[in-house]
Amino acid sequence: MSEQPLTNLSQPEPVSGWNAAISSWLPAVILLLVTIMLWEAAVRIFSISSFIVPAPSEIAKSLVAQRGTLMQATVVTAGEILFGFLVSVVVGIALALVIVRFDWLGRALYPLVVLFQNVPKVALAPIFILWFGYGLAPKIGLILVIAFFPVTLSMLAGMQSVDRSLLSLMNSVGASPTQILFRIRVPHSLPSLMAGTKIAATLSVIGAIVGEFAGASDGLGYVIQFASTQLDTALVFAALLLVSVLGIAFYYAAEILERFVVPWAPKFSRA
Amino acid sequence: MQVETIRPAGGRPAHIRHDDLISTKGVSVIMGTDQNRQLILRDIDLSVPKGSFVSLIGPSGCGKSTLLKVLAGLVVPSNGSVSIAGVSPGEAARKRMIGLVFQDANLLPWKNAVDNASMLLGIADKSMSRSALRARGQEMLELVGLGDAAHKRPNELSGGMRQRVAIARALALDPAVLLMDEPFGALDAITRDSMGQSLLEIWQRTGKTIVFVTHSIDEAIQLSRQVHVLGINPGRITQSLDIPLPYPRDASVTEVPEFVRLVLQLRTMLRSSHQPGGAT
Repeated sequence: MSEQPLTNLSQPEPVSGWNAAISSWLPAVILLLVTIMLWEAAVRIFSISSFIVPAPSEIAKSLVAQRGTLMQATVVTAGEILFGFLVSVVVGIALALVIVRFDWLGRALYPLVVLFQNVPKVALAPIFILWFGYGLAPKIGLILVIAFFPVTLSMLAGMQSVDRSLLSLMNSVGASPTQILFRIRVPHSLPSLMAGTKIAATLSVIGAIVGEFAGASDGLGYVIQFASTQLDTALVFAALLLVSVLGIAFYYAAEILERFVVPWAPKFSRA
Repeated sequence: MQVETIRPAGGRPAHIRHDDLISTKGVSVIMGTDQNRQLILRDIDLSVPKGSFVSLIGPSGCGKSTLLKVLAGLVVPSNGSVSIAGVSPGEAARKRMIGLVFQDANLLPWKNAVDNASMLLGIADKSMSRSALRARGQEMLELVGLGDAAHKRPNELSGGMRQRVAIARALALDPAVLLMDEPFGALDAITRDSMGQSLLEIWQRTGKTIVFVTHSIDEAIQLSRQVHVLGINPGRITQSLDIPLPYPRDASVTEVPEFVRLVLQLRTMLRSSHQPGGAT
């Protein structure tokens, strides 16, 4: 036979473990360190007041001094993000399945979903506080309305991009719509769904912070708001830093999940 | 030796033989909206004897793929009748008499070769156990020469190997008819040749009836027992050519003078089929 098996065509071999990792991360790390040093120097040289722009060293000090408050707030916010994210993914997937499986319901729902997407959802935060109080519920609700859409949309796109001749094959052996949905459309949509899920992960962080801004007695959003009224800008930045860390952590958690869910999908590589 | 039938356009065969596995009578397909109705196929009379290898060749847009879909029961003709072993194509499909292979292998990227090969069978026959399906898939992979690649995922297989899995998947149904729509159209010339040889071997070993849509004159002559030329606007069978070259045929058949003569003859037929023919 003239054909040769092409192994791992889609995954080029990385140069080698640590060296490759260092060379791919090094530029970003250097840029970050230089920026922090310039920032520190600028604040000192121009003696900028710390409630306008705190020096990185001030932020670090605040981070250490307030570690109890910050840690507790981080746990609260992380819980909101995780819970809200999971609810968004479940609701987003369920909506996509309903839209694809029940044609008439889909035609009714889809325009409404798109319409709803155009509502400025940040503006819903006060209403959610009014309805659900100051606890966890309004934050989950806000994360849900912000984050379900990319999940639904990406899964729909994945389910609808199944090749027509594959559907012909399925029809030729009398496959039922439910069989086509669960054997073909759903697994086919997973790579696309995972991309939407990663977007939802970052939007969940935004949803949680907005929810806390609108009304909360705890969490990093609350700390940011409280500290800014006290002109404790260093604490604001410290909390911001933790929010960013949370965002990155959730994004990479979603990326790791992707590797387990869709190991066959072509990977996007940084290199 | 040269049994050559050249039928006038739209002409009907005098009689339909009883050993025909597939026969269509006056099949027309009209598609499109009320304002823009298009006659895709007109008056198709096709008869394919059991165990035969028949090719459909014609210019792009002549409706040869649509004709294949009619035979597969995926397109219902607007007029005329289709019979596969005495039943309608829909009925034949339900009885797993039809195996389909398209230009794109359309394998499921999340399943390995053996599970891909048994995928359609698993849907057609819900009573089969997982291990029985695997065994059948493995058997079919061996038939197409991919016994060693059972656990490879599609992205680890070459284009030709993927297409072999697609053929294995169709054969797993044990269909009476194999309907193939330009199955080697996306492959390079060398792979294409070896796939053609393999298909002939599989055909002779299994005795399937094959209807093969192709763009390639050489491929049509090299593989089939009979070639039907389709004309365009509307799609119709303009001429038919019997290929009297003896089987088994290997790659050397292309060097036989008879082959060269048939190529020229088919080319002439194809050229005349490019002219739109409204009237019969």
